[in-house]
Amino acid sequence: MKRIYSILFASFFLLSWTSCSSYLEENPKDRLDEETAYSTLSDVQKNGVLSLYNYVGGYVDSQGLQGTGRGIYDLNTFTTDEAIMPTRGGDWYDGGFWQGLYLHRWGVNNEAIYATWEYLYRTVILCNGSLERIQDFAEKHPKENVADCVAEVRALRAMFYYYIMDLFGSVPLIEKSNPEVEDIIQEKRSKVFNFIVKELTESSSLLSKERSNQPGVYYGRMTQSVVWFLLAKLALNAEVYTDDDWTDGSRPDGKSIFFEVDGQRLNAWQTVNYYCEKITAAGYTLEKDYTANFAVFNESSEENIFVIPMSKTLYTNQFIYLFRSRHYNHAKAYGLSGENGSSATKEVLETFGYDTPQVDARFDYCYFAGPVKDLGGNQILLDDGVTPLVYEPWNVALDVSGKPYEKTAGARMKKYEVDKTGLKDGKLLDNDIVLYRYADVLLMQSEAKVRNGEDGDAELNLVRSRVGMAPRTATLENLLDERMMELAWEGWRRQDMIRFGVFTRSYSCRPQLPGEENGYTTVFPIPEKVIDMNPQLHQHKGY
Amino acid sequence: MDKMQPISQALYSLLFLGCMGAGFPLYVQGQNVDELPPDSIYNIGYARGSLKNISGSVEQITEKQMNRELITNPLEAIQGRVPGLTILKSNNGMAALESVRLRGTTSLTSGNDPLIIVDGVLGDLTMLTSVYPTDIESFTILKDASETAQYGSRGASGVINIVTKKGRAGKTRVNYNGSFGVSHAYRRLDMLSGAEYRKLAAERGWSILDKGYDTDFQKAIEQTGLQQNHNIAFYGGGEASNYRVSLGFQNREGVIQNEGMKLFTANMNMSQKMLDGLIDCELGLFGSMKRDRTLFDLQKTFYSAAAFNPTFPDFPDPETGSWDQITTASQITNPLAWMDVDNREETSYFSSHARLTFNLLKDLKMVLFGSYTYSTTENAQFLPTTVWANGQAYRGNRKSEALLGNLMLTYQKQLGAHFLDVLALGEVEKNRFHGFYTTTTNFSSNELGYHSLQGGALRPWEGTGSYYEEPHLVSFLGRVNYTYDDRYVLTVNLRTDASSKFGRNHKWGVFPSVSAAWNITREKFMRRFHLIDNLKLRLGYGLAGNQGGIDSYTTMALVRPNGVTPVGNSPLVTYESLKNVNPDLKWEVKSTFNAGVDMGFYGNRLLLSVNYYLSKTRDMLYQYDVSVPPFAYNKLLANLGSMRNSGTELSIGITPLRTKDMELNINANVTFQRNKLLSLSGMYEGEYISAAQYTALAGLNGAGLHGGYNNIVYQIVGQPLGVFYLPHCEGLVSDGNGGYTYKIADLNGGGVNLEEGEDRYVAGQATPKTLLGSNISFRYKRFDVSLQINGAFGHKIYNGTALSYMNMNSLPDYNVLAEAPARNIHDLTATDYWLENGNYVNFDYLTVGWNVPIKKQRFLHGARLALTINNLGTISGYSGLTPLINSTLVDDTFGVDDKRTYPLSRTYMISLGLNF
Repeated sequence: MKRIYSILFASFFLLSWTSCSSYLEENPKDRLDEETAYSTLSDVQKNGVLSLYNYVGGYVDSQGLQGTGRGIYDLNTFTTDEAIMPTRGGDWYDGGFWQGLYLHRWGVNNEAIYATWEYLYRTVILCNGSLERIQDFAEKHPKENVADCVAEVRALRAMFYYYIMDLFGSVPLIEKSNPEVEDIIQEKRSKVFNFIVKELTESSSLLSKERSNQPGVYYGRMTQSVVWFLLAKLALNAEVYTDDDWTDGSRPDGKSIFFEVDGQRLNAWQTVNYYCEKITAAGYTLEKDYTANFAVFNESSEENIFVIPMSKTLYTNQFIYLFRSRHYNHAKAYGLSGENGSSATKEVLETFGYDTPQVDARFDYCYFAGPVKDLGGNQILLDDGVTPLVYEPWNVALDVSGKPYEKTAGARMKKYEVDKTGLKDGKLLDNDIVLYRYADVLLMQSEAKVRNGEDGDAELNLVRSRVGMAPRTATLENLLDERMMELAWEGWRRQDMIRFGVFTRSYSCRPQLPGEENGYTTVFPIPEKVIDMNPQLHQHKGY
Repeated sequence: MDKMQPISQALYSLLFLGCMGAGFPLYVQGQNVDELPPDSIYNIGYARGSLKNISGSVEQITEKQMNRELITNPLEAIQGRVPGLTILKSNNGMAALESVRLRGTTSLTSGNDPLIIVDGVLGDLTMLTSVYPTDIESFTILKDASETAQYGSRGASGVINIVTKKGRAGKTRVNYNGSFGVSHAYRRLDMLSGAEYRKLAAERGWSILDKGYDTDFQKAIEQTGLQQNHNIAFYGGGEASNYRVSLGFQNREGVIQNEGMKLFTANMNMSQKMLDGLIDCELGLFGSMKRDRTLFDLQKTFYSAAAFNPTFPDFPDPETGSWDQITTASQITNPLAWMDVDNREETSYFSSHARLTFNLLKDLKMVLFGSYTYSTTENAQFLPTTVWANGQAYRGNRKSEALLGNLMLTYQKQLGAHFLDVLALGEVEKNRFHGFYTTTTNFSSNELGYHSLQGGALRPWEGTGSYYEEPHLVSFLGRVNYTYDDRYVLTVNLRTDASSKFGRNHKWGVFPSVSAAWNITREKFMRRFHLIDNLKLRLGYGLAGNQGGIDSYTTMALVRPNGVTPVGNSPLVTYESLKNVNPDLKWEVKSTFNAGVDMGFYGNRLLLSVNYYLSKTRDMLYQYDVSVPPFAYNKLLANLGSMRNSGTELSIGITPLRTKDMELNINANVTFQRNKLLSLSGMYEGEYISAAQYTALAGLNGAGLHGGYNNIVYQIVGQPLGVFYLPHCEGLVSDGNGGYTYKIADLNGGGVNLEEGEDRYVAGQATPKTLLGSNISFRYKRFDVSLQINGAFGHKIYNGTALSYMNMNSLPDYNVLAEAPARNIHDLTATDYWLENGNYVNFDYLTVGWNVPIKKQRFLHGARLALTINNLGTISGYSGLTPLINSTLVDDTFGVDDKRTYPLSRTYMISLGLNF
């Protein structure tokens, strides 16, 4: 019997070591806890601030400000009279997605819109998380100066809010990383707008004066001139952004929207002008060669203000716009791949004066049309090795399936210099993606002056003369055309059309939707799934 | 409660089958349901008991009842034999199983596969490949919570307990089993041939790239697959010890070029009595080494094979040595170029265990059990420059270790008519999962492949990674089984588990169960009914927990590298939280009610068993779709929602004929199953949160199908898990150019809108409502024949293959079905037009065996020869290649046949068994 008890005792002793509670604790070895990731000021800069720049670009659909598909860029581009994704037989129908964008019938459950919303708010919440952790760090380390870090994150967050407010109008304003469901309520568009302006204005003085588009400590980061550019954009669109009911047919007047700018009270147009002047004073200037801004090595550009740094070997950010536009054999001739998709609309051809003696010089910088040559200057041929590849710009339409020009209709994107060493079908390349540049500053300034009743010819013609084009008078009509040509396929067209009041009009292959004249399509719907899950949100008028 | 399937439908199915079977000769495989001795010892979880002491739903299948031929994975031995068991084999007939379900899908996490136990070692589906099928002595299947509760956290999806053969006292014996087989594809999609394609292009005035050949690329990528299996076992023993050693080898070639599998297994066990019988010691080792070469991307391969320009040659360009491509068909690649892709997996598995049984007193035993399992899987992949821009090589290694120990005390006492069986158990388990992978790209040569990772110029940042997890579990179990006069049985289990994966205050879960049974045949009043040999009623209720498939560290706020960001000229890796944190994560709990009756008539020549179950899963663990904001990420692992499963399982065994020379057995089981997703909302951190109303599970891929309204199967609250949610097509309408498009119904007025919540409706479910397994066997003297029939009813299949290949718009870049030009549909919109009935009856295999007469001699004791043919045929109204697609596993292929189906193939196999 004794033997039995000793066996029993020994056995239970064996089991009992497990009863200590630490056995059930987790000790991760492949990730860090937040405290460790924020233990020094350098950690705070790295994981609290710089980490957020990973979300400016992207390599997955709907992620990043530009470079990827089905995201902010596509919502701002393929919904306009600037770009179209024709259905080409078995290709590019994609369940009606692209036609839906072009026809403004994107629906309230559009997955791309939903994913874009998620991307933007995720980034905002991560910014909020950074601010909270920086605050925690500051409380534990009162001697460290975190003011620069806080300013940079606030500016970055304001930029993401600017995209949210531009796309979705009246949206929730969230300043916590862990908000309650009951705090998710829609704010008026003007309130969100004022918040963004305040955040940018307050943080700008603490930001760096360095150039953001050129390699250095501030490469790709929020600097003063980036914030000034954003403030100019915000003021330029202030009539739209302060309009809390965009379906009532009236809009506030920019002359009576006032901003406090460095101690002065300026109206919207004067504010645009003020910030544009500051950018000019900071040394930004037009490149002599338009195409230099989009070259493989465009880091030295004196014109670019804010870019997504690209490096095919170091970073993961991709640029798919050339890839998805070029014809298969066209891409193949460069040793890359193509998806034969996106094309310029008839409005583009008309505005540039394509096929006329007066064609704008920038058409050839921005688009491929007609026969195309490889980098060695040889004619590019189709698979049969005989037929030359000839793009047919005028045959572009919403659906070209079954037509002889099914694969060749439409002028294609050229803008960025071919990176022959591009990877992943040419989606990984070294050309930095241009988000903001100085030519836009001049055009904003010209437009603001015209809208304020002044003369904007000088700025407009500075831009035109750089590409050797004859001067034009700065009228609103000329300015909208000029923006289509100068800023072709740079992601501004939807915003411009809305500001000029032409977004909801019909254009080629696109009739006006019933009821669209009230302007309801100038903002995207709050994704229905988000409303389902946040009972306090409501859908915008018209949807 | 769900409406019960009318019984008449089941009978109809049976009758229907009877008719079908009539065309086939019916003979035996020597398998009799009733030969099972009523007093055989069952493994009921940790406990062991005889049939009369069982009050839960426990099924045991011994070697005689198993499928014997054409088995690669052990579970195939019981396929069709267990009501409620569905096995989804991997597409290519290789060893690994995609998924196994007992009584359907009850959880939204991946913890739906049953717990697999081999000789006491706990594992998952991967462990099965390390056991050679003929080494198995018995399977015990625990389905309802009254007995699965013994495994608490692990048993929610049922338990399959495998006991391997052991040595026996007596002379040393040797068994050999071997087989040779050939498999070949016999049917594929009927696409336009080269000539037809050429003719059509000429008629319609398309300019095509005509290389002048007529190639059936579907055929061009096939091969005749040879198969062989060998297993040799030695066993023997004496009074105090015994042993058994077995070695196995399987070699399988698939029906598509380069597909193949090699598997080596070894299994050793021994037992020894020590210290005058005080201690019984058992030791076991099993291990395996498996090498697979599989297709890298099923869809890309079969899509390319079907749709590639048929005028291209089936040989590479003689000048360049590379495969001709069509640049305009960007979603496909020359299918023969795909055959150059090298995609391999190598899995080594090793497991050892020891069990010490201390016979402390006559009625009191203590069992100490320990096991250690180690497995490592290496994946290697090379995509040559012909199919992948610049080429890509990948290698990855995953290691998994499990250390398990338990201590159990059992007390069994018979006092007059009272029998008491008490069990107490404590158990600890420690797992470790770790691994890494790396990718290189930009190859200048395709020759060395993944053997030379340095052959790639670049290593993309996101192509490399590693991970480490170390979850722990602690459990205690108490069990009491009381039987009075072999008439009344009562079993109570109480298990408590703790897992390191859950939140600080939610680590422990308690899972009780109770069940009772009444052996009516033991009552005096039943003596009058001579024809009734057995009548037993069972009732049970219990809870089981689940934590399967969830990640570690979900409850902690942690950061991981989120990318490389430029600072100055140097790249910098930064850290960020990459998922939502849920500090309150806890156990998912499933409660099950089970009622059953077992009957035997006419000397057990008619056996009938009926079980009804109703289960509800609460606090369902799932990566819920949550809203951004308030969350940063759109997935949250949380305990929300609930799901209900119910079903009736009916099994019948009939022996209408039994003489010395002849015997006929018919076994059939029918399962009626229902599932409903009750809720996807609940409380999280004190707030009510709700997941999205519609979640797409499976959709379509391919040219013109990227995004948009191409989601087909959805998860919708209030519906069964996995329903077809589609626009309704009213028929074909002219497109004005001589072709047709799908006319979509405006279901809710206001114009046609394909969005979720608009003109879509729930058009059916992806999971069968009725499952059928049936085996008919007939023996005449030394010959036997066995036919296995399976079926599934009540579900639908989306024929996405036809949607794509009927679309005339895809010509001439993508080939179409031969009948497409006649139909002339120019539309790729996903509607219910291609939603088809999925009902089928499949004649799984037919075996003819011969037990070779052997004169009594010294060495050879027995020999058997058998011929098996599988995939005899399928009866189905489905217009695609086969209705046997994924109707089980909730993933992105669920219920959708989308250009990824293998050609239909058949295997002929001759097998030989020798006993020395």
